[in-house]
Amino acid sequence: MAETVNFIVKDKSFEKFAMMMILGTTGDAMDTKMNFFFTFWGLNLLKKKFKPKVAGMPAPMKGMAANMFKKRMKKFGIEDPWGMIKDAVDNGNMKLYPCQMTMDLMGIKREELLDWVEEPVGAASFLEMSDGGRIVSL
Amino acid sequence: MSDLTLGEVIKLDCLGKKCPMPVLMTKKELKKMTSGQTLELTVDDIGALKDVPALLNKTGDELVETKQDNGKITFIIHKA
Repeated sequence: MAETVNFIVKDKSFEKFAMMMILGTTGDAMDTKMNFFFTFWGLNLLKKKFKPKVAGMPAPMKGMAANMFKKRMKKFGIEDPWGMIKDAVDNGNMKLYPCQMTMDLMGIKREELLDWVEEPVGAASFLEMSDGGRIVSL
Repeated sequence: MSDLTLGEVIKLDCLGKKCPMPVLMTKKELKKMTSGQTLELTVDDIGALKDVPALLNKTGDELVETKQDNGKITFIIHKA
């Protein structure tokens, strides 16, 4: 039986986005089943056209740093991070779940999120799907 | 090791690419290959030295040889 790794993504930073992308696409290459549960600020990462900023930089440089990192990652061969995530999702190994309750709490509507992510679920669903697997909080 | 020259050798150049690209590109190439074919993978990302064998442990393909030359790493892989 395939092993599952379950991630909780609670921040909207570029760093968390990059971790999600790198782990998710690599896990897909290694045929690992992964569920990513997006809650609180992490929900922003699933919004259409949202541009994550670098949390670890001083305030005026957060956006600039994200652009710099993106350019550098392009040189490393990472040209289309969302396209790579979509491939892993299409392969069935990576699943992105928005958290329903925090969506309601923060006033985020389903239609604001990318069409191809899973339908929102609650805490019980996440715990049930990660039962017996590992849970990692990003 | 003696059968290195047997069969078709497919080359994959990942020079300049960094994690996770060498692993993703290797997996993509292996997926296209048929059993018994050989893949010659070239990388210069030092992290791939551990990452490529980790991938192969999962896919079940065989790492036949690893060569290092001036920062350039060459993996010879047999598709299972």
